[in-house]
Amino acid sequence: MSEKKAYQERVQSGVHFMAGNYATVEGAIAAGCDFFAGYPITPANEISEGMSKRLPAVGGAFMQGEDELASIFAVAGASLAGAKAMTATASAGFNYKQEGIGYASAIEAPCVIVDVQRCRGENFASQADVMQMRWGASGDYETICLAPSSVQELFDYTVKAFNLAETFRNPVIVMSETTIALMRERLEIPDPKDLKILNRRYTHQKPGEYMTYKANPNQAPDFAPLGKGYHNLYSINPHDERGGIDWDPEVFDKLYQRITGKISENKDQICETQSYHMSDASLAVIAYGSEVRPALDAVEMARAGGIKVGLLKLVTVWPVAEKQIKEVASQVSAILSVEMNIGKYSREIERVSGGRCPVHYVTKNKGSGHTKEEIYQAIKEVWK
Amino acid sequence: MKPYNIGLCGFGGQGIILTAVVLGTTVVTKGNRYAVQTQSYGSEARGGQCQAELIISDNPINATSSEQKDILIALFQSALDKYLPTLKEEGTLIIDPKLVKVPAGYEDRTIEVPATEMAVTLGNRLVANMILLGYMQQRFNLFSKEDLIEVVKESVPEKYINLNIKAIHEGIAYAKKES
Repeated sequence: MSEKKAYQERVQSGVHFMAGNYATVEGAIAAGCDFFAGYPITPANEISEGMSKRLPAVGGAFMQGEDELASIFAVAGASLAGAKAMTATASAGFNYKQEGIGYASAIEAPCVIVDVQRCRGENFASQADVMQMRWGASGDYETICLAPSSVQELFDYTVKAFNLAETFRNPVIVMSETTIALMRERLEIPDPKDLKILNRRYTHQKPGEYMTYKANPNQAPDFAPLGKGYHNLYSINPHDERGGIDWDPEVFDKLYQRITGKISENKDQICETQSYHMSDASLAVIAYGSEVRPALDAVEMARAGGIKVGLLKLVTVWPVAEKQIKEVASQVSAILSVEMNIGKYSREIERVSGGRCPVHYVTKNKGSGHTKEEIYQAIKEVWK
Repeated sequence: MKPYNIGLCGFGGQGIILTAVVLGTTVVTKGNRYAVQTQSYGSEARGGQCQAELIISDNPINATSSEQKDILIALFQSALDKYLPTLKEEGTLIIDPKLVKVPAGYEDRTIEVPATEMAVTLGNRLVANMILLGYMQQRFNLFSKEDLIEVVKESVPEKYINLNIKAIHEGIAYAKKES
């Protein structure tokens, strides 16, 4: 087992049989994470536990906060100090993180937040936080949110999350779920040389020339290294390019155009999807996270019965993969939107489809995911 | 090979989940195949019903659970009563006869392995699960004996390695004797 392998190595290359929460830990460590703060909550505890073992071994720091708020703010602070920082929680704890996520977004502190979604109060499966991932904090901001559907993808997307956080200087959310977090599965960790890792972008300007928030439109500014004579103020209040608090409406407008624009105007670069059996499809299932698994089985069952159905898997849930969803909506005669909640993201798919084809909601909120038979049944009904 | 579904059920503390994890680790890290393992258990620290499930396949696995088990291992009566319907028609039931009764109508496809009694004879009832793994190795050939022993060596505390390996051999010997 991986625990026996040298813990000092950041990248535990090889084939493992590992639980999803530990794969999240390994992804973070491989991506260069050097600070973690968290507060206990099931089903996310193995992430804290794993981090408390792995981080000290690679020279990082682990902190158990007195609550979720302390943890997320410690993560924002560590990020400003130069660390690659992460926190993890589960739905009820994710509520408390929102203030810190808002702050980290406003001051453009790159960090990764893992939400292992559960049903209210219990370890049952759910995707009900999908809207909170996007809209949980107050004020204008954008989120990048990735939805893994396997233990392998918990590793892969956690690495990806750290890279996106550095590229856009923004919090990035890994939308985990009870289902995949507590499940053990095959995990292949590549050689370090095959892992793409993006590190902190520092300014080449000198102290005095450098301005904390000066950046091109729709781009993130470069960081100033800590302790080298640069003066930085990181305030959640409206701030000008120097970082000074400024309530001028023009300053306010320019700042928020850039902070949101760096994500919304670079959507095509950020958004990733995967297509299965889509080339000749006249029906499409759209799913994300663990629901992709039974959805793919159901699509293959339907294909065996002669139904021309395909699957669009959303790797990026936020921002919305509008280009890809529009293409699908133009190609097929109907979309089935599959998710494990009362039907939240389906409305986004409906909005983006813009009437090109009807969108059928295939939703379930019973503490367990859809079975392939349930999705297959829904496909058959729409195909009729 | 078609995906192979294995269910294990009993009560907390019998090593049900560990058994599934050792099995999964063996087929994935040594046998280079795919496996998915899930579990459910009560919130009690010990006792309470406990269930683990393992799917083994040559290819990546989508569905994480199956109601069509090829093998069901039951080490507690109420757990068996609950999970017996998940055994498929031609599936094999493995029970510990000291803990579980052969269900009516299942006589011809139930195997009795007195793993707990054998483990007590070896000096530690906790290795009953290793006896079962040894038995499964010999009977179903889903993984090799060498791979299983390798995984046990990597995952069991040093001072218990020999006892666990001995238990695996006991299970293998029991299966050989039976056939």
